[in-house]
Amino acid sequence: MAAVRSKNTALVNRLAIAAVLLATVVFLGPIYWIGSTAFKPKDLAITTPPTVFFEPEITPFIRLFTKRVQMQKQVDPADYAAAPWWEQRIYDGGERVLKVGSTAQLSQYPDRFANSLIVAIISTVLAVSMGTITAYGFSRFKMPGEDDLLFFILSTRMLPPVVVAIPMFLMYRIVGLNDSHLGLIILYVAFNLSFSVWLMKGFMDEIPKEYEEAALVDGYTRLQAFWKIVLPEAATGIAATAVFCFITAWNEYAFALIMTNRRAQTAPPYIPSQVGSGLPDWTTIAAGTFLFLLPVAIFTFLLRSHLLRGVTFGAIRK
Amino acid sequence: MAVSTMPVSGPASSARQPEASRGMSDLAIRNLFIIPTVTFLIIFNVFPLIYSLGYSFTDYAANRNAPAEFVGLKNYRDLLTDERIWSNFIITAEYVIVSVAGQMLVGFGLALLLNRSFPMKGLVTTLLLLPMMMSAAVVGLFWQLLYSPSWGPINYLFGLGDFAWLSNPDSALYAVAITDIWMWSPFVMLLSLAGLSAVPQHLYEAAAIDRASTWYTFTRITLPLVTPLLLIALIFRTMEAFKTFDIAYTMTTQPTAELISIRLYKQAFQQWDTGKSCALAYIVLIMVLAITNIYVKYLNQAKER
Amino acid sequence: MFRKTLTALCVGAGLAFAPLATAHGEELTIFWAEWDPANYLQELVNDYTKETGVKVTVQTTPWPDFQTKAFTEFNAHGDAYDMVVGDSQWLGAGSTQGHYVDLTKFFNDHKLNDVMAPATIKYYAEYPGGSAKYWAIPLEGDAIGWAYRKDWFEDPKEMAAFKAKYGRDLGIPKTYGELRDIAEFFHRPDQKRYGVAIYTDNSYDAMAMGVESAIFSYGGELGDYATYKVDGIVNSKEAADGLAMYKELYKFTPPGWGKTFFVEDNQAITGGLAAMSMNFFAFFPALVNKSSNPHADQTGFFANPAGPGGKRFAALGGQGISVVSYSKKQAESMKFLEWFIKDDTQKKWAALGGYTCSQAVLKSEAFQKATPYNKAFFDTMFMVKDFWATPEYAEVLDQMNQNIYPYVVGGKGTAQEALDATDKAWTETFKKYKRYN
Repeated sequence: MAAVRSKNTALVNRLAIAAVLLATVVFLGPIYWIGSTAFKPKDLAITTPPTVFFEPEITPFIRLFTKRVQMQKQVDPADYAAAPWWEQRIYDGGERVLKVGSTAQLSQYPDRFANSLIVAIISTVLAVSMGTITAYGFSRFKMPGEDDLLFFILSTRMLPPVVVAIPMFLMYRIVGLNDSHLGLIILYVAFNLSFSVWLMKGFMDEIPKEYEEAALVDGYTRLQAFWKIVLPEAATGIAATAVFCFITAWNEYAFALIMTNRRAQTAPPYIPSQVGSGLPDWTTIAAGTFLFLLPVAIFTFLLRSHLLRGVTFGAIRK
Repeated sequence: MAVSTMPVSGPASSARQPEASRGMSDLAIRNLFIIPTVTFLIIFNVFPLIYSLGYSFTDYAANRNAPAEFVGLKNYRDLLTDERIWSNFIITAEYVIVSVAGQMLVGFGLALLLNRSFPMKGLVTTLLLLPMMMSAAVVGLFWQLLYSPSWGPINYLFGLGDFAWLSNPDSALYAVAITDIWMWSPFVMLLSLAGLSAVPQHLYEAAAIDRASTWYTFTRITLPLVTPLLLIALIFRTMEAFKTFDIAYTMTTQPTAELISIRLYKQAFQQWDTGKSCALAYIVLIMVLAITNIYVKYLNQAKER
Repeated sequence: MFRKTLTALCVGAGLAFAPLATAHGEELTIFWAEWDPANYLQELVNDYTKETGVKVTVQTTPWPDFQTKAFTEFNAHGDAYDMVVGDSQWLGAGSTQGHYVDLTKFFNDHKLNDVMAPATIKYYAEYPGGSAKYWAIPLEGDAIGWAYRKDWFEDPKEMAAFKAKYGRDLGIPKTYGELRDIAEFFHRPDQKRYGVAIYTDNSYDAMAMGVESAIFSYGGELGDYATYKVDGIVNSKEAADGLAMYKELYKFTPPGWGKTFFVEDNQAITGGLAAMSMNFFAFFPALVNKSSNPHADQTGFFANPAGPGGKRFAALGGQGISVVSYSKKQAESMKFLEWFIKDDTQKKWAALGGYTCSQAVLKSEAFQKATPYNKAFFDTMFMVKDFWATPEYAEVLDQMNQNIYPYVVGGKGTAQEALDATDKAWTETFKKYKRYN
């Protein structure tokens, strides 16, 4: 019996690994394609068959950070010779860098990137904190109208942004929050709270109440028990919630587009807009996407051990 | 984490503290933890909800200086008798079913596969989460390229020649759904993994001792314990699927792929038919509320078990 | 937990209000769509800054979002933008809903009717038609034009084969019929070569612009812009023939050509896909530069061909710059406009790449020889026609898209049916807006 079992398990394991490999190819293939496009020269960006091996260059990133225009004629050789190496790369692409005086103009990308960081980080911290404590409240205490309140919280996420946008736009205009970081932060917190509360409650419900009760008997206050016992146990939930809230805030497009202008607009509405000079510049869009992906990826990677840890106590289950 | 202001007096040194000095009462904590969040949400949702509801009963157009005139249920009636709206709803329903089912199956399946220890598990899991880390607009843009018959790798790799995924009215919607599944399966996968890793080992060991079959283990032990998280994933993905806009709008403009949120956008921002778009938004809201209600009931049932 | 939340809130608030604390110099904001002409404009206005010290920023947003953002701001009476370079179709909405400042006095004071080309005044500035009331200054002239592969056309083998098959010489098409034949001739899917690239994107006005170019040349109209009568006009036989021709051309496009605008049509040339490609002149600079178009030396240009009846028109694109009535800096904006209309500025604008509407510059030899497409552009600007500029144009456009798209791309129904449905929808709309009194 045991021998048959282990042969089955070995086969299953191998199939599992094969399936995981397949999944990796399917899910990561397009991402690798986008990422590699960020380092390709313009003419190799869209080729059939897709170019897998090539000499990487960072010209797309140079394009990403500078304000440029299409040139109608080829560049004057004198100008070309006098230009620094990175400007020459731009000339090679048939464009020239816009300058104020003799300083090259930065594109809006760095600003937008910074805005994204500010808005996403702060709104995530707030959404996760508020969500966690609210989830704890619902999980551990009886609240009159609990089911209704929870459903109300859930419903805040149901309205399509395009419809909420106009009244919010007007409301913000009255309060003066238009085109401001704070305005966007508040909006994202409100948007992410429903998910944060529900997910954290889901995790909190899994944590046996017996632990806190034991701690309370031992003399801890309720808040201490929450802090020292429940929160560490909920680390997985907090990590997962933080990751999702951050991703949502990071990539949000509709509100960022409508509610903000020059001052506080984040990157998502900006990145696809590289398609404007009559020809798509896939390499630059890919470069913008690639860089924009890094903070999220790094953040998630740093939290990976928490994400996978799970609630491993399990000694006392309901 | 920030420093708590609670004094950490060793519990061993003080047994049986009197009630009064046991920090805040449970009631106070409960209120403190719940009420600010709820208040915050009420403030930021009530205005748009009332605004939209109010305008849905008028013929207001935000771009005309004429005042709004009350028209009662006319907007709702017009919408519900509009053929195009119904086709939008059916298209959206198809899309939600295909997309969400796909995400759940692929995501949960992946989680089952990954729920074992193997080298670099952390890295692989993080990598598999990458699809959902990109902005929907960018995903739409790049997948448009991927699907392109002239320049895209998909037709090339699968030998599909000239098949135009996004220009073909019959396949456009499914092409978008596939992209959506690609993008959001990792979400379901992560939640499932978190749920799966919460299933205590000793239950599996007990089942193994009892010579339980894989199927039995799966349906009687794994599934019930993962269901709460799965249902949360299902609820949120369904809500989001109904609101899908960015991906579809960037990829295709086929009328057979006109989701309800695209129609809403056109009504609100191209035709500036504010009254009608508010009415449509409420109709969608009611539908989503109804569907979610059913899910939540299941969720509560699952937790009772 | 609580403290942390509080701290975070304070930090957030501080960060949010910090930008507001910076000093306000003299600043103007012009809002436009994200494309090269906006970049050229930014370069141009940097000169103004040098001269006057007033900082002018050209703020942009991608084309698909341009209308949304502009009108959201207008409808909320916001002052985020001092001037806007709006589409010609926005004139009706801009003027009747009070978003644009009336520039009639400015026009008359500076005799702009003599400075700018008549077609541009008519379509970019005047509303309602014939009223001599002006709301924008023509900034960027544009119209539909065609690019083509000279080398394919001038290949002796091709010329011989074409003459054998069609009985006439292979050359720049003078009529849509000829264009169609050439498209058919070069349509060779097995060689990954296709006849023609046209606009089909129906999320805004791309497809409509392409279709109306054909309809206009066929002698059809979209309606009487003065009386709003559409019945019998938009669904006339000429219009149906024009639409049918457009659909015929769709047959000869590359695969997957169902959502195309300027990007794809240019790619059809740079990627060596199509023999001919329609596009707005504004996007042709990319095609003449060897670094962006490997076939640059072999790319030629021609103006929109005529229809079977000998009529010849092209769809108008282009924008005029208006002063937003909610802006708090209208006086400053007017000063800027005075600088903009100067001859020197217009010359510099053309040199940078902007499509000036100044008659003097347009007619000059220098301009016409400056690029391979300028002559075609010059010719086209005297035979342009526009879409509806009425305030409800967006609804009208959407209805046209809804009815025409399934026919052109999906092959459903006939041209006459598509136009009949459009006629019906438009009549309803105009009735709704009480245009038929």
